[in-house]
Amino acid sequence: MRALRTAASGMAAQQLNVEVISNNIANMNTVGFKRQRAEFQDLLYQNVERMGAQSSSQGTVVPTGIQIGAGVKAGSVYRITEQGSPTQTGGTYDMAIDGRGYFQILMPSGETAFTRAGNFAVNGEGQLVTDDGYEVQPNISIPQDAVDVSISKSGQVQVKTAGQTEPAIVGQLELATFFNEAGLEAIGDNLLMETAASGPANVGTPGEVGFGQILHGYTEASNVDAVAEISNLIIAQRAYEMNSKVITTADQMLSVSAQVKS
Amino acid sequence: MENAAYIGLSRQMTLRRELDIVANNIANADTTGFKVEQLLVGTEVGERARNAFVRPGVSFVLDKGVGRDFGQAALEQTSRNLDFGIEGEAAFFKLNDGAGEAYTRDGAFTLDPEGRLTTQGGAAVQGDGGDIILDPLLGQPTVAADGTISQDGEPVGRLSIVRFDTLAALEKGGDGLYRNASNAAPVEAADARVRQGMLEGSNVNPILEITNLIEIQRAYESVSRMIENANDLSRRSVERLGRVS
Repeated sequence: MRALRTAASGMAAQQLNVEVISNNIANMNTVGFKRQRAEFQDLLYQNVERMGAQSSSQGTVVPTGIQIGAGVKAGSVYRITEQGSPTQTGGTYDMAIDGRGYFQILMPSGETAFTRAGNFAVNGEGQLVTDDGYEVQPNISIPQDAVDVSISKSGQVQVKTAGQTEPAIVGQLELATFFNEAGLEAIGDNLLMETAASGPANVGTPGEVGFGQILHGYTEASNVDAVAEISNLIIAQRAYEMNSKVITTADQMLSVSAQVKS
Repeated sequence: MENAAYIGLSRQMTLRRELDIVANNIANADTTGFKVEQLLVGTEVGERARNAFVRPGVSFVLDKGVGRDFGQAALEQTSRNLDFGIEGEAAFFKLNDGAGEAYTRDGAFTLDPEGRLTTQGGAAVQGDGGDIILDPLLGQPTVAADGTISQDGEPVGRLSIVRFDTLAALEKGGDGLYRNASNAAPVEAADARVRQGMLEGSNVNPILEITNLIEIQRAYESVSRMIENANDLSRRSVERLGRVS
């Protein structure tokens, strides 16, 4: 009976759905987190009777045919890169991107990672780093005697040092955009890596055409909508239950047949 | 005597196939752009199982085909700018997946590394002039209701939304794709509307499907009992009539 396997594929799909939803809910308060969505597609179909097949020697044809589907599979789990709302934190090195783009982070391995989480800090050498201590690219050094730091919408980092009236420019932030943002690979710690699917990074100055602006003193909140996630969870649970109902029915029908005696 | 068993068996075979289709509908209750299916069952006047002149011919149960309900399903908001839902029954996005033209209602598109608009499976979405290529250095794409895609106010292409004269010509290919099994070319669906940031859900009605499930199970059980009774009758006749007093 195919129905058993079909329903099993439905249960497996809903299980994946619940896993994706639970990850979204768990990251409801993660800075710069982008919610994910599982997208499902139907599995292949078996042609029991081909449409357009001859149904008699007079040349009449089967108009619709019989195609029986084999269930469902996860087509993809993709990130929804909708803007999260900027949350005011007042942090000196907190930045949110309003619009497209990612901050570039130099990993200890020498690779470049990308992130939307702009909750940065300064390390012992005065360099701008993530909260894991990875350097932000291009490198920005804050002098030790800095009193006030301000970051403009176009990513210019200005520092006011003690005894100076004019702020000094100490660096310029850059953002990276991609052809296919959904193709970036998440490696945890709010970081994403470039892949063949995402295409190469296009680096530019914030505020240019196609790049977002920097909001200083804000971080970007997660774009998870708790209410939507909970209702998706309910839908997934009910769908799971219905698939298990199909398995029960198929099993009972098989048992009825097995009990027929002559 | 065997007629009852054979007719019962023909019904049980179609019931099993109906169950397979209901199982597929329920498994796809959450699949983007899925259209519900139903087995069309009819009677087939068959030959008698045994040659008896006085009895009328018997009719077997036969599945004639699968019917698809191409009705519009609810559009679900995803707020993603490359998700498109079609408002308009039986209209499809035209795709090219290398193996030829394909059609889909699943508008969860993405961009490939060259900026070409594709499905999640990698099939290129077709516009009026072939593939649609977006410039990543320009702003977010916006799509008008007629399928025109623009970036920063400049149109860059138009999604091709098509419709078939006879929906029976469509064959499901899995992965949410339909293929054209006839020679008839699709025509442009002028009345269909494209909604950006939305995806069409599945038009499976779960309550209806669960009811079908119960109906199938009970019908199967009663046919099974009928076969059992017929066998019983046959056995008793042999026992009684064959008794030597």
